[in-house]
Amino acid sequence: MNEKAIVINNLTKKYGNKIAVDNLSLEVNKGELISLLGVNGAGKTTTIKMLTALTKADAGKAEIYGFDVEKESDKIKPIVGISTQDTAVAENLTVRENLKFMSDIFYENSMDADEAIEKFGLEEYRNIKAKQLSGGWKRKLSIAMAIVGKPKVLFLDEPTLGLDVIARRELWREIEKLKKETTIVLTTHYMEEAQALSDKIAVMIKGKLSAFGTLEDLEKMTGKKGLEEAFISIVEGKCKVIR
Amino acid sequence: MKRMMVFSKRNFIEMSRDVLSYIFCVAFPIAMLVIMSVVNSSIPKQAGVTMFRIDNLAGGIAVFGQTFVMLFTAIGVAKDKNGSFLTRLYATPMKARDFVYGYIIPMLLVAFIQVIMSNVTAFIISRVQGSELKVSGLLLSTVMVLPSALMFSAIGMIFGTLFNEKAAPGLCSIIISLGCFIGGIWFDVEGVGGTIEKVAKCLPFLYATKVARAAIDVDFKKENFIIPMAVVLITAIVLTVLASFVFSRKMKKIV
Repeated sequence: MNEKAIVINNLTKKYGNKIAVDNLSLEVNKGELISLLGVNGAGKTTTIKMLTALTKADAGKAEIYGFDVEKESDKIKPIVGISTQDTAVAENLTVRENLKFMSDIFYENSMDADEAIEKFGLEEYRNIKAKQLSGGWKRKLSIAMAIVGKPKVLFLDEPTLGLDVIARRELWREIEKLKKETTIVLTTHYMEEAQALSDKIAVMIKGKLSAFGTLEDLEKMTGKKGLEEAFISIVEGKCKVIR
Repeated sequence: MKRMMVFSKRNFIEMSRDVLSYIFCVAFPIAMLVIMSVVNSSIPKQAGVTMFRIDNLAGGIAVFGQTFVMLFTAIGVAKDKNGSFLTRLYATPMKARDFVYGYIIPMLLVAFIQVIMSNVTAFIISRVQGSELKVSGLLLSTVMVLPSALMFSAIGMIFGTLFNEKAAPGLCSIIISLGCFIGGIWFDVEGVGGTIEKVAKCLPFLYATKVARAAIDVDFKKENFIIPMAVVLITAIVLTVLASFVFSRKMKKIV
């Protein structure tokens, strides 16, 4: 039996009268990469925020490595990393200073800044200020900052948003490398990205989990070939969903 | 504590690489010191205007400079808050106190550097003008103005936490104008009297200026130093606690 990295039970979040995440239940095995897919406003980012203890759930429970996200956030924070939709870097610090900063923030068991530079091929930009980097390199830096703390679970919220195809492929390679040692939850609007990287795929519609499984599972369920077609079929309600 | 210092270092480096911080926190106060000294030399002695004499001006400028420390604290916090950088840090093991003091500590350092530079300038001006500024008083004032620097940083922290990058600096400019106007930096509030004096005495800015001036004069009289220092200290502590509270609340609600 696979060990569970993330266990989510009936997680619910409301903003006023709007339900952002509705009774979400999901399990992710250690070392897996799962993609959370959904149209804008489906509740993907809110789910990540709840799992990283950035926002409290209104109901339900989530555990990461056996720790309750809400009650034991002090134990969760040292073992999770997050790369947000926007590149969250300190603009006036150099690449190395940004990584050193994050390394010092985590300090216990964290990766050395130079090790992260090497791992992400950032050597050429080591002493360049973050604000002078191109979008692709800034994204790389942002993800590198998320892994400096050697997280057991990494949340990547639309990591390749706005990148050109070459920069995107480069980032895929980095994410592929991380898969071996980290459990990853990825949100994306790029179907080919989810298809290329994911072990499992979760489709959310209006805060609810509508489908969850491997690509083959989704294809079988929808009778469509490829993730994009399967996703469209699920979102447009043309098939019976797995629950 | 380690995380607080790491965050302080980051904030100090970020500020030290912003040209505007040199212009507003160092160059502008020193320029005002020089300009007002020139103005003073043009005022006939018979007019009896002592406000722009270097011994009065030095203390006023020390507090004037600190108002820009408030502005840069507010800008720094608001900028981090409105981007995703703070969101990333909220997901790390950093605590609210690491953030609050991580923002305030480098600002105290900036205020310290600032007062040293303006005091050195004041000393040079005093020598050029042939007036006597006590070196001991100038040295003393570099430390004695730190409570008011804490007070201004805390105000900046509160504005930066509650308002966005556009609103926070605007609100700080109101405090800068208010602080200068009724803080007794540019004119003798107590000499004017009336409502202005009453309002000034209800706010901490006048006391901050009094502390700076008394420290430069090495004057520890109760009414000139001890009472104003007590007011500034209490205000600084209350505002710092309030800043911590506001930031902690916002940290829980921000995402």
